[in-house]
Amino acid sequence: MPKIGITALVPPELIFACGGQPYDVNNVIPESKKYPKNKLCAWTAIWQEMLVKREIKIDSLIVVAGGDCHNALVDGQKAAMSGIPTHFFFYPFDGDHKYMESQLHSLCSFLGDIKHPEKFRQIKELKKAGQLIDKKRVNGKISAGEAFRILVSISDLMGDLDKFKRALDIKTPHLNAGIGVNRIALIGVPPIYHDFHDVAQSLDLQIVFDELPYEFVRHTGADLNEVAKDYCNYTFARPLDFRIGFLQKELEKRKVDGVIHYTQFACHHTLEDEILRQELDYPILTIQGDLPGKTPEQIKLRLEAFREMIARS
Amino acid sequence: MIGLDVGSTTAKRVKIEDGEIKFEITGTHNWKDLVEGIGKEDIISTGYFRHSVPHKASVTEITAARFGAEYYFPGVEVIVDIGGQDTKVIDVKKNNFIINDKCSAGTGAFLEFVANYFKIELTEMGRLHSKAKRIPQINNTCGVFAVSEMISQLVAGYSKEEVIAGIHYAFARRISFMIPEAETIVLIGGTVKNEGMISALRDILNKEILIPEEPQIVNALGALEYSE
Ligand code: SF4
Repeated sequence: MPKIGITALVPPELIFACGGQPYDVNNVIPESKKYPKNKLCAWTAIWQEMLVKREIKIDSLIVVAGGDCHNALVDGQKAAMSGIPTHFFFYPFDGDHKYMESQLHSLCSFLGDIKHPEKFRQIKELKKAGQLIDKKRVNGKISAGEAFRILVSISDLMGDLDKFKRALDIKTPHLNAGIGVNRIALIGVPPIYHDFHDVAQSLDLQIVFDELPYEFVRHTGADLNEVAKDYCNYTFARPLDFRIGFLQKELEKRKVDGVIHYTQFACHHTLEDEILRQELDYPILTIQGDLPGKTPEQIKLRLEAFREMIARS
Repeated sequence: MIGLDVGSTTAKRVKIEDGEIKFEITGTHNWKDLVEGIGKEDIISTGYFRHSVPHKASVTEITAARFGAEYYFPGVEVIVDIGGQDTKVIDVKKNNFIINDKCSAGTGAFLEFVANYFKIELTEMGRLHSKAKRIPQINNTCGVFAVSEMISQLVAGYSKEEVIAGIHYAFARRISFMIPEAETIVLIGGTVKNEGMISALRDILNKEILIPEEPQIVNALGALEYSE
């Protein structure tokens, strides 16, 4: 099975159906100790460096450029120039599913066409099970950390559908009972710190929504056409009002008490903070991360103060 | 019950007796003197070392600042705490706070850097500022770059007093980017004693700036208030 690197959300349904094994190049970053030389955002800078040095071994790369991240577009080209066969994938800003379909077709040609159409349905089923994990943590049945680790791994389904299926079977035996006190939505790109959800929980902030991983689990389709219709509503690629409308409904459903907006240093999504604050009617804490590792003390202080604020309001 | 604020340089203790605020301030290394004879169950701690000192409950300096400022100025909208290592802006109305702790620009450390350059005490900067006749434009608040700008202004014929005033204005402009819309601002933290700095802030922000009677004990008082 050729190993196909992806830089952000690319329908894993299609990669598996074309006989590839998706591998999200972001997987290694939160635990990485690298200090990339030429960097804006550490996410793209680190995978770029590791790809060019062949420290991440893949057969080809799909860079999500359109509607997602221009840093990835440039760093993806550096990887391409180092000799990795690379395809650039563009989401439609206006949600046009015909455009989405044409993008999926050209992705198919890059991957060598659909050989295992049954993978679409299999993955659709697995994502349904993934949605249950999300529900369970909303209801405090499993910890936010465990739910996050599963949800975020849906981008590439661990490169192995059986392995992923086994991973779905999680239980949190010692979950403390104080759940539901400070219900938090975590919006923006995922934090670059590997222990963020556990740290938040230890400070009595219960994360009940992970914006981007929820996008990973909610989009799917039983064939290419369905995938096109569904993924064209990937909120991160759409205009802000579309994304905000979606967020408003989701936050209300999940009865959140506060919102944490995680932003990444040198990421354009930081510019959205102002608008999100205006439009979302919740106490909002904005934090910014840069290099991977443990959640820094200064961020813990902000989280703690945020908890104190919510608890008193 | 006491409020105990143990920060990176000083430790403060606040008690309220018969409605009157009683306080004591000492260096951080002497913090133990402040809790002599006081049991852990009577201490609400705050500040950088809040977890390391005995306490019944602890509260972050951000929340403590809110409660402390509220004590002096009920209905406070925005609190600006310019400390040695970081500057915090707390938007009470919006439940939001911004902390600048990434670089020294916009923190007390920058002013200290400038004072060192002129070989003067930090406390002298306010007095020197008041003697300035003109205010040169200084754009950089990065310690390293600001020095070369200061030298250029000195060479261009501005006096030391004027360059210091220029620095205060550069500092105030830098802080102003962090401050939300509000009628009044409560200013706390060590730099509150620098009148030059405050007059620059008044000028740049064009807002009413309120300073508590005892700006140094606001957080210790806030911790006590929070517990109530
Ligand atoms: S955090 Fe922002 S800049 Fe970095 S990869 Fe994600 S979208 Fe791109």
